[in-house]
Amino acid sequence: MANNKANAPLTPAVLHILLALSTQERHGYGIMKQVESDSQGKVKMGPGTLYGSLGRMIDAGLIRESDKKVDPKMDDERRVYYKITGHGQKALAAELERYREVVAVAREKRLSPNAVIYGYGR
Amino acid sequence: MADEHAIARYRHWYRKLLRFYSRLYREQFAESMEQTFNDLCRERAEAGEGLVGFVLWMFAETSAGIIRENGRSIVMQNQSIIRIAIGTGCILLVPLLGNLFMGWNWPPFAFAFWGALLFGTGLTYELVARKGGTIAYRAAVGVACATGFILFWINAAVGIIGDGPVNSMYLGVLAVGFVGAFIARFEAHGMALALFATALAQMLVPVIALVIWKAGWQDLLIDPNSPHPPFDPGIAPVFGLNAVFAMLWVVSGLLFRHAGDPRSKIRGEV
Repeated sequence: MANNKANAPLTPAVLHILLALSTQERHGYGIMKQVESDSQGKVKMGPGTLYGSLGRMIDAGLIRESDKKVDPKMDDERRVYYKITGHGQKALAAELERYREVVAVAREKRLSPNAVIYGYGR
Repeated sequence: MADEHAIARYRHWYRKLLRFYSRLYREQFAESMEQTFNDLCRERAEAGEGLVGFVLWMFAETSAGIIRENGRSIVMQNQSIIRIAIGTGCILLVPLLGNLFMGWNWPPFAFAFWGALLFGTGLTYELVARKGGTIAYRAAVGVACATGFILFWINAAVGIIGDGPVNSMYLGVLAVGFVGAFIARFEAHGMALALFATALAQMLVPVIALVIWKAGWQDLLIDPNSPHPPFDPGIAPVFGLNAVFAMLWVVSGLLFRHAGDPRSKIRGEV
């Protein structure tokens, strides 16, 4: 069932979390910070949104819980780390491919963000 | 130091807030959420920024998450009930539109009564059909529920035999089905017998009504002020209509019998 949904479009929160986990496993706070950094501060998630999304992503097989361990850069509390799965990597690749196609169409039509906003090229 | 105390206090309150999540959700995420909340507060304090507004935002954001997750969990657990409620609402749209555009005059009581009856029938189907798990069993429950609903509906609207109290005997027909189902504990073979008994009870009603008519107790058959004859709409139509209902009960009984037969071709799992 999970494989059938590999090509389904992702919500922005899920896309950002998968991007954050694509390079290494992270705990909740680490994911939040990475998402904030990847989006240049434009996407800020609170714990309610983050963990709700993590729960659904675990159910969908996109990520899984890794070991519980201490983050040496932080305090001595043991934290649950999350890891992207093979299915999650496929879903991320499919979503990025969709974005590439959209950008290609926009280029073909010679649309730039400014042209869309100000109606240039009409 | 003052910040450390404040953060510890906020964390304590945040832990209390997390209790509003479902037990399953708490077991999986509450500890991590609490740690993340603590990390975010510390980051904020180290940056020398105020905590109160930030903590209020975190509480509001998490409260929204609690409502979202609990709502989702209710929907997941009660999808069939919500489906039945939506179906009932859609059917009741017909008289509502009739009232609004076609001059119908359904009073609020009629909406409540038929809404409860439709919802109750759907719920009965869902609860009983769940016990079988085969196509034949679900079809049998579906036919029985639909037949029971139509029988009740016709009786409540106009009556099958005249318009006297004799029609209340049809409640006895439904009672035979219900009591039989409970005695059979919803097991397929027992349900088949219960439905055959219901069919028999259905055919007994016009026979008893005929005896009442011939005995001259006409008040039981028809309202004294009614312009209709006592055995309205006539012996043949009354027996014919009852035969149709009896046949439907028998069809349901036969489907139950198939559901209980391991060699049946329509026994497949749903």
